[in-house]
Amino acid sequence: MTTQLMEPARSSSALALPRGRLLAAAGMVTGLLLVAWPWTAGQFVLHLAILTCINIVIVNGLSLIDRCGQLSFGHSAPVALGAYGGVLCSSALGLGSISAGALSLLACGLLSAVLGWVILRLRGVYFVLVTFAFAELVRLVLLDAGAITGGANGIAAIPPLTLLGFAFDSRERFYALALVLAAASVGFMVWLFSRPLGRAMSAVAANSALAESTGLNVLRLQIVAYIVGSMLAALGGVLTARYVGFISPESFGTAASVAFITMLVIGGRKSLYGPMVGALVLTPLPEFFRGAVQTQHVFYGAALILILRFLPGGIASIAKLTISREARR
Amino acid sequence: MDWNLLLGQATVNGLVVGLLYLLMAVGFTLVFGVMRMVNFAHGEFYMLGAFTAYYFTSKLDMPFLPAVALSFVVAVAVGSLLEWVILKPFRKDELNGMIVTIGLAMILQNLALMSFGPDPVSVPAIAKGASTIAGITVANSRLYVVVFAVVVLLLLYAFLRHSRAGRGLRAVVEDAETASIQGVKAKLYYPLGFGIGVGLAAIGGALMAPLFSVSPFMGQTPLLKAFMVVILGGLGSIPGAALAGVCLGLLESYSTLFLSSSTADMLIFLLVMVGMLAFPRGLIGKGEA
Repeated sequence: MTTQLMEPARSSSALALPRGRLLAAAGMVTGLLLVAWPWTAGQFVLHLAILTCINIVIVNGLSLIDRCGQLSFGHSAPVALGAYGGVLCSSALGLGSISAGALSLLACGLLSAVLGWVILRLRGVYFVLVTFAFAELVRLVLLDAGAITGGANGIAAIPPLTLLGFAFDSRERFYALALVLAAASVGFMVWLFSRPLGRAMSAVAANSALAESTGLNVLRLQIVAYIVGSMLAALGGVLTARYVGFISPESFGTAASVAFITMLVIGGRKSLYGPMVGALVLTPLPEFFRGAVQTQHVFYGAALILILRFLPGGIASIAKLTISREARR
Repeated sequence: MDWNLLLGQATVNGLVVGLLYLLMAVGFTLVFGVMRMVNFAHGEFYMLGAFTAYYFTSKLDMPFLPAVALSFVVAVAVGSLLEWVILKPFRKDELNGMIVTIGLAMILQNLALMSFGPDPVSVPAIAKGASTIAGITVANSRLYVVVFAVVVLLLLYAFLRHSRAGRGLRAVVEDAETASIQGVKAKLYYPLGFGIGVGLAAIGGALMAPLFSVSPFMGQTPLLKAFMVVILGGLGSIPGAALAGVCLGLLESYSTLFLSSSTADMLIFLLVMVGMLAFPRGLIGKGEA
C-alpha cells in the first residue's frame, strides 16, 4: 500500500490521477456506454435490456427480504399481485395507468404488512414453505376467479403506461423508464444499507437473537423489509404487465420464483450489487441457448450448485476479491 | 344417487391417492430428518421411479413387481451417489442445502426431458377388471397399488424398527453427534438416509405409473402435496407424515364431492398455511420445530 503511494504515477498523462480513481472513471465510462448501448443496438437488445431492468427491480426486492434473514420462495406472488392489481385498478376504477399502478403498489404493501405480521414469526425452512404455499394460493385464486382475471387465458391488450400524456409505447421509451427505476432500486438499496435502518436489518440477518437483545425489534424490521421488498416486486409486476401487454397466472408460477432465487444466489446474496449482477447475467442467457431450453436449465442448475459450493458470495464477490487483491498489492 | 356408495367410492379413491402422498411424504420427511434439508428434487425421483418402471416393463418386458423393486434400487443408488457427490458439503445447512436441491431438480428434470422427450408415455395396467367389496366397486389395478403400498410401508416400518441399519438411521435423525459417540457411523447414514428417502418417492412413482401417464413433469404435483403433508404432519416426523398423507388424500377426495376441485385446492392451501402458523410443529404429528 505505502509503496504504491510513494511511487510517482506511471501514467504518461499530465494529470497523474491515482490509479484507483482512474479505474473508477474507466469503469463508469464503460458502464455508461453499456447502459446506452441498447438504444443503438436494435429492438431485440432493447427488449432484453428492458426485461433485465425489470428483473433487477424484482430481485432487489427479494434481496431486501433475504437481507433480513428470511428467504422468500414465493416472490412471484407480489409480482403477480402488482401486475394484476395495476391492470385491474385501471380497468375497473377507470384510473390512469400511473395512478392505478401506484394504487396497486399501495394495496400490495398493505397486504404484505398483514401477511408479513403473521408469517414472519416462522423461521428458516418454515418461512420458505409458507411463502411457497402463499404463492401457489395466489396463482390458484387468479386461475379460479376467471370472471375478473380472465382465468387461464389471462388479460391481453394491456394499454401502455402514460405519464402526463406521454405514452411509453415504444421499446426506446420504455427502456428509459425501466432503466431509471432499476437504477433507483439499486441506489435505494445502497442508500438504505448505509443508514442505521439498513444496518439494523443486517444485524438481524447476522444473529436475530443478539439483535433482539440489543433492543432491536426484529419482527418490526423484518416486516418493514418484507413490505418494501414486496412493493419492489409489485413494481416489477406493474412494469411487466405494461411492457409485455399480456399477463396470465402461468407467468407467475414456481418457475418464476425459482428464477428470482437463482438470480439472487448466482449474483451474490451478500452483495448489494448481487441482484443487479444476477439479473444482468441470467436474463439474456436464455438467448444463447435458443432452441435448447433444456440445456439452459441444466446449466442453471449446475451453476446454482457450483456457485453455492465454490463461490458462496456469487459473481458479485469476484469483483470484490480482485479489488481487495489489487489493494493489497 | 346413493350417498353410501358415493362416500365409499370417495374413500377408496382418497386412500389410493393418500397412500401415494404418504410414500412421498415419508421419504421427504426422512430426508429432512437426516439432513435438515428440504428436498426440492424429491418430485424428480418420483418421476425417475416411474420412468425406470416404464423402461423395465415396456422395453425389457419384465413383470411389474421386479420392475418396482428395481426402480427402488436404482433410486437408492442414484440418490446415495448424488448425496455423496453433491449434497455432502451442505448437510445441516438448511437454506443453502435447499437451494442446491432446487438446482438438482432443474438438472434432473431437464435431463429427463432431453432423454425421454416431453410427450407422456403410458405403462400397461397391472391388472384388468374390477372387484366389488361390500358394494363398492374398485378397479383391480388400484387395489394392487393399495396392497403394494401397504406392503412397502410395513417393510419400511420393520426396517426402521428392527434392523441395525434402520436403528442407526433413526439415531442419526434423533441426534447425529450423540449417535456418532455411540458408535453409529453417521458418515454412512447420510447417503443411506437420502437414498432410502428418494427411493420411497421412486416406489411411489413406479406404483402410480400404470394409473397415470409418465412424463418428465409428473413430479411437480406430488412434490407440492408432499410439502403440504409434511407441514400438516410436522417436518421430520415419520408417523405424522404417514397419518397426514392419508388424511390429505381422504380430505381431497371428500371435498371434491361437495366443492369444485379448484376451490377444494385453495381451501386446503389455506388450511395448510393456517395450520403451520397455529401449530408449527404439525397439526397431526409432532415434528421438530
